[in-house]
Amino acid sequence: MQITFTSFPSQSGLRSAYASATKHATEDDEDAYMDVEPFDDFESDSSRLTCPGETLTSAQSFMRGHGTYVDNDDVISSVAGTVERVNKLITVRALRTRYNPEVGDLVIGRITEVQPRRWKVDANSRQDAVLMLSSVNLPGGVQRRKLESDELQMRNFFEEGDLLVAEVQAFFSDGAMSLHTRSLKYGKLRNGQLVTVPPILVRRLKSHFFSLPSGVDLILGLNGYIWVSKHVKESEREGEEGFDAEAVYSNRNDDIDDATRTAIARVTNIIRILAAHSVPLTDVVLLEAYEWAVEQDADVKGLLQEDVSDALVAAVTSG
Amino acid sequence: MRPPSPSIPEKEFLFSTLEKSLRLDGRGLIEMRPLELTFGEELGHVDCTLGKTRVLAQVDAKMVRPLPERPFEGIISVHSEISPMASPEYESTGRPSDEEVALSRMLDKVIRRSDAVDREALCILAGQRVWHLRLTIHCLSDAGNLLDCACMAGMVALRHFRRPDVEVIGDEVTVHPPSSRAPVPLSLHHTPFSLTFALFAPSSSHTNISSQTAPITLLDPSLLEQRLASGTLSLALNAQRELCVVHKAGGVPLTPEEVLSAVNIAVQKAKELEKMVDARVREDWAMKKIEVR
Amino acid sequence: MSSRIEILNDGGFRSDGRRQYELREMTFDMAEQAGADGSASVAHGLTQVRVSVFGPREAKMRSQTIHDRANINVEVGIAPFSTGDRRKRSKGDKRILEFASTIKSTFEPVIQTALYPRSQIDIFVHVLQQDGGVLQACINATTLALANAGVPLLDFVCAVTGGVHAAAPMLDLTTLEENDLPHVTVAVMPRTGRVTLVSMETRLHVDRFEEILRLAGQAGGVIHKEMRAVVRERTKGLVDAMGAGVRTSDFAEDAMVADS
Repeated sequence: MQITFTSFPSQSGLRSAYASATKHATEDDEDAYMDVEPFDDFESDSSRLTCPGETLTSAQSFMRGHGTYVDNDDVISSVAGTVERVNKLITVRALRTRYNPEVGDLVIGRITEVQPRRWKVDANSRQDAVLMLSSVNLPGGVQRRKLESDELQMRNFFEEGDLLVAEVQAFFSDGAMSLHTRSLKYGKLRNGQLVTVPPILVRRLKSHFFSLPSGVDLILGLNGYIWVSKHVKESEREGEEGFDAEAVYSNRNDDIDDATRTAIARVTNIIRILAAHSVPLTDVVLLEAYEWAVEQDADVKGLLQEDVSDALVAAVTSG
Repeated sequence: MRPPSPSIPEKEFLFSTLEKSLRLDGRGLIEMRPLELTFGEELGHVDCTLGKTRVLAQVDAKMVRPLPERPFEGIISVHSEISPMASPEYESTGRPSDEEVALSRMLDKVIRRSDAVDREALCILAGQRVWHLRLTIHCLSDAGNLLDCACMAGMVALRHFRRPDVEVIGDEVTVHPPSSRAPVPLSLHHTPFSLTFALFAPSSSHTNISSQTAPITLLDPSLLEQRLASGTLSLALNAQRELCVVHKAGGVPLTPEEVLSAVNIAVQKAKELEKMVDARVREDWAMKKIEVR
Repeated sequence: MSSRIEILNDGGFRSDGRRQYELREMTFDMAEQAGADGSASVAHGLTQVRVSVFGPREAKMRSQTIHDRANINVEVGIAPFSTGDRRKRSKGDKRILEFASTIKSTFEPVIQTALYPRSQIDIFVHVLQQDGGVLQACINATTLALANAGVPLLDFVCAVTGGVHAAAPMLDLTTLEENDLPHVTVAVMPRTGRVTLVSMETRLHVDRFEEILRLAGQAGGVIHKEMRAVVRERTKGLVDAMGAGVRTSDFAEDAMVADS
């Protein structure tokens, strides 16, 4: 008995319109049931792919990490992605997934709710993050106890819909993350625009704050949220001793001239193009892409045209 | 309101007894609770109890004009409702709960889609007059496996019911009252019975559903068993070994052999039920002296 | 019940020219939909379904959160133009609700919900065209959309319909065949070959049921190979695209740190 497809009734087995895809399937059949031996050399071949339900290796000699589970002494993948191994630990990293927070990560988030003594922040994770009132800088002195009056005017600091940059401080027992903004680098965001990309495209860098020429600042949040804004001079940002609560929690944009606006728009479009082509975003890549765009003298809108964007990606990735 | 889940000791105890093939109420794994059918004064009124689960079903018939697209067929409608009286976890307001949807769909499939009732026999005068049968199901108490009890009540009510005899001369329709002519039973093609199995993942790993060993299968789960089960398999079939409904969504995955062994158990049970229901209905008819002569 | 069209002719062909065990052409499209975490379009012949997955994310309603696992929410929409007779179904239609609850309970044990306490995973199913095997298409599309969203699954869930015409079993029925034949939808988890969903609403003899159940199990394996190939192809495409852009020297190191 044969189970076949419409278009290829006489061929053996299951060939279909997806002829090329099916070819994979047969090849994969062999490596899906690979035993422990071929595993040793896969360190060099770092992009071994897998799918949910595929047996990776024996559980007796390896430990299961994220993206895997154990059934009957087999380590089995539970997501589609690349297999990675660190010593005896096997993990599978999914390519498109929500942000998985780690302590110390820099993230950009949006306030969704104001609750007693805390804000809820959407940070593209599996649950909304929590920003405690005690984890933000309060006006009038860097270190002081929070007062009842602070509790009453929480909306003066952050309101629903406000964007902020923060750092992951700790986790709650259910896996929700707690954020803090106790640094002058962190806090409310203004004078710019938010772009969202898949989180996997933002990797850990030495610094997630950087400036491009022509007065654009970038903050790459590890959760895939990227903030593109007008450049603020170093001296202004650092502030003097103590800090100016008015300015930090202000809801008003500064004056932004047309050139800067164009530059911001251009950078956001570049990020969108790179993300659409799954190019990992780093400072080097972004700088190069920006320079290319300026060099080509492409207007902001024109960048999004297919031929221009393909050329941009080619220029950046080939380099 | 979601019902509070059973406590951990309750859960553990149930699982540990099941592993020894024991059930908390002393039944065997594929033993049903005692089924009792009590018939009311009227024909087509039945009170069905399965252990402490109790469902009331009632059939009535009236003459209506048939649907224009089906002029030769009678109409059957099934009304079911789970009132908060059956169990505090059912609420009377808002959109129908999952249980209510499952129940009404199952009744619809068992009673209407399975063609249990010969609809053409309900036609009196083509395009003019047909019988409209209305089956109302009232769930009085839910002590587990409400689904099977409700389907049983519905089917038995249809078997017990008799409609008045009618005579058609030309375009004239005469309805004979029960006193002058004996009412006639409905013409049924078959009687499907619904049987629900609760599935429990094997051994200690209740979370790991993909394990290789066979799961534990119980027939006619009680309320606690139903809540703790990791999936159910509902079958509806008649004594002629014909399946009418198979519904298993999610829960412990089964091998085809395990599904078929459940089907075979159900075949046996359906035969037993058929015999019992047939005997009970006849007994009651005999008592009521429906025949005029 | 019988129509004038011959379901299976003497030459062993069905009304659309297929053989008994022949599946219709299937297309699986895993292209992203902006805004959704994962999405997929699946077509089996003329039946076409699109599924979007959102999450795991913060639950919209706090009352719906479950403290030790993720809550799964399934909503099904059937386009009024999906059938021959244009008909608008209300959201509260019991058939649609049952459909949604079937999909939900099929995927609840397959998704590793325990990894996401208090979260919610939303699955939105849209039936765009119906020509038989709607449940099968919905299940397959949901599997792909979940895989696309990076939601951990124990295994694929691959569904197929089967029917019997005069003791001859057939696979992947069209609406025409579904109207005339008893049919079963079966979903299998290919790694163990176990059956996770069986749904039948028409009368069928036990012996025939056995036959079709086994056959559908095998056909599920065939569909699995296709689905897996598509998932792999997409994964490979993404990996290649990402690999092409990696050029900074310290990047690789950082990636390692990130994983450990």
